[in-house]
Amino acid sequence: MLEKLIAKNNITVNGTGSKSMFLVHGYGCHQNMWRFITPQFKDDYKIVLIDLVGSGKSDENSYDYDKYSSLEGYADDIIEICDALNLMNICLVGHSVSAMICLLAALKRPALFKKLIMIGPSPRYINDTDYFGGFSQNDIDELLETLDSNYLGWSSAMAPVIMDNADRPELAAELEQSFCQNNPEIAKHFAKVTFLGDNRDDLKKLTTDTLILQSENDAIASIKVGQFVHDTIPNSKLVVLETTGHCPHLSGPEQTIHAMKQYLM
Amino acid sequence: MNYNIDYKELYNSFPSGCFCSLPNGLIIDSNIKFLELTNYTKKELIGKKRFTDFLSLGSKIYFETVYSQALILSGNLEEINFDFINKDGIKFPVLINSIVIRGKEGAHLFTQSVIFNISQRKQYERELLISKRKANDLSDELIDANEELLSNAELISKQKLQLEKFNQHLENKNRQLSSFAQIASHNLRAPVSNLIALKDFYKESMDLEDKDMIFSKVEIVIDHLSETLNELIDSVKIQENEDIRHDPIIFDSVFVKTLGVLDSQIVDSKAVVTSNFSDAPCIKYPKLYMESIMLNLLSNSIKYSSPERTAKIHFYTEIKNNTIMLVITDNGLGIDLEKHGHKLFGLNNTFHRHVDSKGVGLYMTKIQIEAVGGSITVESEVDRGTTFKIILKKNI
Repeated sequence: MLEKLIAKNNITVNGTGSKSMFLVHGYGCHQNMWRFITPQFKDDYKIVLIDLVGSGKSDENSYDYDKYSSLEGYADDIIEICDALNLMNICLVGHSVSAMICLLAALKRPALFKKLIMIGPSPRYINDTDYFGGFSQNDIDELLETLDSNYLGWSSAMAPVIMDNADRPELAAELEQSFCQNNPEIAKHFAKVTFLGDNRDDLKKLTTDTLILQSENDAIASIKVGQFVHDTIPNSKLVVLETTGHCPHLSGPEQTIHAMKQYLM
Repeated sequence: MNYNIDYKELYNSFPSGCFCSLPNGLIIDSNIKFLELTNYTKKELIGKKRFTDFLSLGSKIYFETVYSQALILSGNLEEINFDFINKDGIKFPVLINSIVIRGKEGAHLFTQSVIFNISQRKQYERELLISKRKANDLSDELIDANEELLSNAELISKQKLQLEKFNQHLENKNRQLSSFAQIASHNLRAPVSNLIALKDFYKESMDLEDKDMIFSKVEIVIDHLSETLNELIDSVKIQENEDIRHDPIIFDSVFVKTLGVLDSQIVDSKAVVTSNFSDAPCIKYPKLYMESIMLNLLSNSIKYSSPERTAKIHFYTEIKNNTIMLVITDNGLGIDLEKHGHKLFGLNNTFHRHVDSKGVGLYMTKIQIEAVGGSITVESEVDRGTTFKIILKKNI
């Protein structure tokens, strides 16, 4: 049972701490994106990493188009994993779309989670009356076309010779594998669910202590959106990082770690 | 040979757009071809623009969620397709190759990138995509058409099967009719010619007493004729009646009823009739048939009992190989099976020069048994007796 679950989500657990930290990657990536962050927490935390079903090295055959046609499906997976691993008082960290997945998990089982950290969250990407999400339906269609045209890119260009990891060849092999395994149909389906969703109403219901990490310059989730998330979640703190891009944990890991540590102290 | 290469000149005249950016994306140098693609001046671009500033929103999402992460993790990406928008708002597709340049300590210093305008190639790719989609649609249509054909074929073969069955039924009916016509003409010829002869006698006779006697004979022939006719009609009815109702039947009660019907014949012949239905006391079977089968076989046995000895007739049931059998055995005259076996159950076949032989009973019995899916066989020895074994029903 547990073995099946581990294979399904490619669950890895490391760290020697007594507390639990559960990190969930966002759209287009996999658990390796946390590699600059986790070393700084592994002494104090037991660190749980997963690949969302359909991403990275998860079991592609477990991708149920019905279940994952809403983010609830992923939230259920997270709760199932927490229960199977007997985790409690968890610090749950979600990047991008997974900030919303973690939000849904925390709404379903508030008792499981002590703190929630959202990195670059956006409850809705498409503009609405009185709401700025940053994108139109047309932009999302364009994204899907880009995904289509870069399908071949997944296997050739996205599995390159790893230059900067000569000292860690296992990481290179791992990366190559995970990129090759990305199924273009699943990537497209996940993109639709991610970028066409709307979780604005769910933000209000959250009671868990929440930290929002917002990149100063983020084309996907702008400061305006981060501010909206902060204003809507009753019990939240917003920290704007002096970083560029949607992935501060990659482009500015030190600042990200610092903000997380400050919050968790 | 020695060439004096001006690398700066080479860089600027390079036929694709080259630029160098900081880890935060800011472009810090570019060649002339890149400036041409953006339509900005060096002053407007360098230190002020990022590559993402030239991307459509859809491409921007892809850049942020996939491209930038994969580039940092792998250090090198090739042949990624983005939609590029220049200063004048003109949009065209580009391919980009990027490589991360790191310092001695491994810190990310710059990103070097090359872009190509692939408008024409992309147009061709779009046409290919459209053709591919059309081909897919066509293939779907073909699959649908094929499925329809298959289901039609199935329907046709079903209809063919029905027709074959119907044809078989018709052939059967035809055979029965022709056999009926033959039997009818055969069975009716004798009494009719008898009647004609009697009619001639009647006309020629002058004596009133003779005329009375002849007429009484005419009456007998007419009765016989009508009885034969009725039996023929009955046999046709059985043949038509395919889906006859099956009732729960207790052998003993049908047997007792049969004894009642034939009471006077049994008394007259002093026959001893016994039964034992304990092996299979009951069955689901058409009631009228069971009554008719028992009546025919019992009256048959009484009729052909030996005048030399007391007639003993025994009815019993048994179960063999999941099959219920009804057996009637007697110690009567017996039948020479070698002589008559092949036509034993035919219509109007009588094997005994016996007063009441009409030869219809066994034929009716056989037809009734077979109509329910059973069969009848006979074992006999002349002057020793006869045993009829009837397989009533298989797979009980």
